[in-house]
Amino acid sequence: MVESAARSDGYSHQELMVIEAARHVRDGDVVFVGTGLPLLATTFAQRTHAPNVVCVIESGVIAPRVRPTPISVSDPKVMYQAVRLGSLRDVLGCLLQRGLIDLGFLGGAQIDRYGNINSTQIGVPGAMQRRLPGSGGGNDMASHCPRLLVITRHERRRFPERCDFITSPGFLDGPGARRRAGLKDEFAVTVVTDLAVLENDPVTCALRVAQLMPGVTLDGVRAETGFPIEAAPQAREVAPPTPTDLRVLRQELDPARVYLKEEEPVSGSRR
Amino acid sequence: MPATPAESGPASLPMTAQPATRSTDKLMTAQEAVARYVRPGSVLGMGGQNIGRCPMALTHEIIRQRIGGLTVAGCNLSIAMDQLVGAGLVSRCICGSGNLERFGTTFCWRRAIEEGTLQVDDYSHLAMVTRFLAGEMGVPFMPTRSLLGSDLLPRVPESSPGARAGKALVVDNPWAPGEPVVLVPALEPDVSIVHVQRADRMGNLVIEGFSTHEPEMIRASRRVIASCEELVSTDEIRAHPEQTSIPFLHVSAVVVQRFGAYPTSVHRYYDYDAAQVSAYQAAARAGAPAVAEYLNERVWGCAGFDDHLARTAGPDTLEGLRQAMQAIV
Repeated sequence: MVESAARSDGYSHQELMVIEAARHVRDGDVVFVGTGLPLLATTFAQRTHAPNVVCVIESGVIAPRVRPTPISVSDPKVMYQAVRLGSLRDVLGCLLQRGLIDLGFLGGAQIDRYGNINSTQIGVPGAMQRRLPGSGGGNDMASHCPRLLVITRHERRRFPERCDFITSPGFLDGPGARRRAGLKDEFAVTVVTDLAVLENDPVTCALRVAQLMPGVTLDGVRAETGFPIEAAPQAREVAPPTPTDLRVLRQELDPARVYLKEEEPVSGSRR
Repeated sequence: MPATPAESGPASLPMTAQPATRSTDKLMTAQEAVARYVRPGSVLGMGGQNIGRCPMALTHEIIRQRIGGLTVAGCNLSIAMDQLVGAGLVSRCICGSGNLERFGTTFCWRRAIEEGTLQVDDYSHLAMVTRFLAGEMGVPFMPTRSLLGSDLLPRVPESSPGARAGKALVVDNPWAPGEPVVLVPALEPDVSIVHVQRADRMGNLVIEGFSTHEPEMIRASRRVIASCEELVSTDEIRAHPEQTSIPFLHVSAVVVQRFGAYPTSVHRYYDYDAAQVSAYQAAARAGAPAVAEYLNERVWGCAGFDDHLARTAGPDTLEGLRQAMQAIV
């Protein structure tokens, strides 16, 4: 059985992913963000529970009032009424590496048990099967942000035991590895998927299930995860969006459905 | 300069002795500027990012003159780099990413890498900025805390005595032993191409809006060709010197080209043309024959960039892009 993009109870998986990701953005956070679903989540948080969020965009844009709906970090709509349009050095160096960013949004083709992210290539070095875009600012974000947030579809191939190539460091090999590599210890990863919210276990550093999307079982998550995954002690169900949430998201942030229309039908058997 | 062979090709010039930059009149055509300063095998610094301020007119001129064996260096490399690759002119990229975000990946680039005809030195964007920062400061390398722990660092230690350090090197912070830090080598492009909002004949550049990696890259380069939307007088530059992004001492050639970044955007001047970016992407995705057809029609078959604009966009489209930008700035 295949569900349509809009769920029968009035919202899509993708909409709930954006809204759930926004719940992990705290009021006052300085957020390093690209376009797409991460920018929707950040601006959604700004319009709802976190009005004092400051956006920093990789192209050099600081504290814009983003207009709907930019498609690129160099889209004029992402620069609207910024306090400064600067350089990559301004944002990647003087804010991110300098330690002034609280939260970074990252994406990638693979994310592994320890939250390492691959956006460089499928296939290990020497046996490349598919070339991907590369790091961009991703490695910089994972190296310097104390909190990382990832929004991705939950598929087994996207969640391997170990990434083919570590573009952006998560916890590397596990406890203590970041410190040994010279990275800051203060670090946490949250992954919002269409099946669950994953977070790193504070002791083992491995990703675990913190919350399940409505109607999803732990076995359903395990079937789509390429490494053994445990549930956090108090794993709850993700709260559905309110009508106000959906109005803000659909009418104010992506009225032309530039991003939200792209929901692929989700197979009912995965739940 | 601790350069790899690709970074010190036959086109390399010393960082000193640049009489061209002292000239008070650097105005020339794109054809002249490219013929004079871009050589086969050059390390080409690429301005712009994604769909913003890519130096398309200068890129087309390089394609028109078929100057090959290039190493293209930048942070995000997008449509300009991809067209150079599609034209068969690039053997190496030094970059942080190749893609066009919502418009998809850089298909010629991806295909060439997967087929083994294009080498890539992968860095993060900050690591690339740091390499240019070392170049513009006249020092051989610069530290960063990015890349640590990742596969972007060389897998095998390349730091044995006498060996070259490779693309990056982890060392102990001399002031805090036990704290690893990454050194990346200065990158000094043989020639950089950028498209800016305004310039004068001397080569003073005014960049408005986001400036990407360009300030560092321009000042690190041996030669710089800047195309601009508008030529202004040096008196006007002198009246607002705080607005000068790059003083003339760094610039070798100035080319006036209205809509010179089309189909990418120029802050305060015009928005990107989604339809034309998509048209190129469709050809790039389809493969080499479609790319050759695109370049034949849009570049090799055009007398110059104005001809390209007339055939590809036309006045109504360009006016629409101008108005779209004015609605937002």
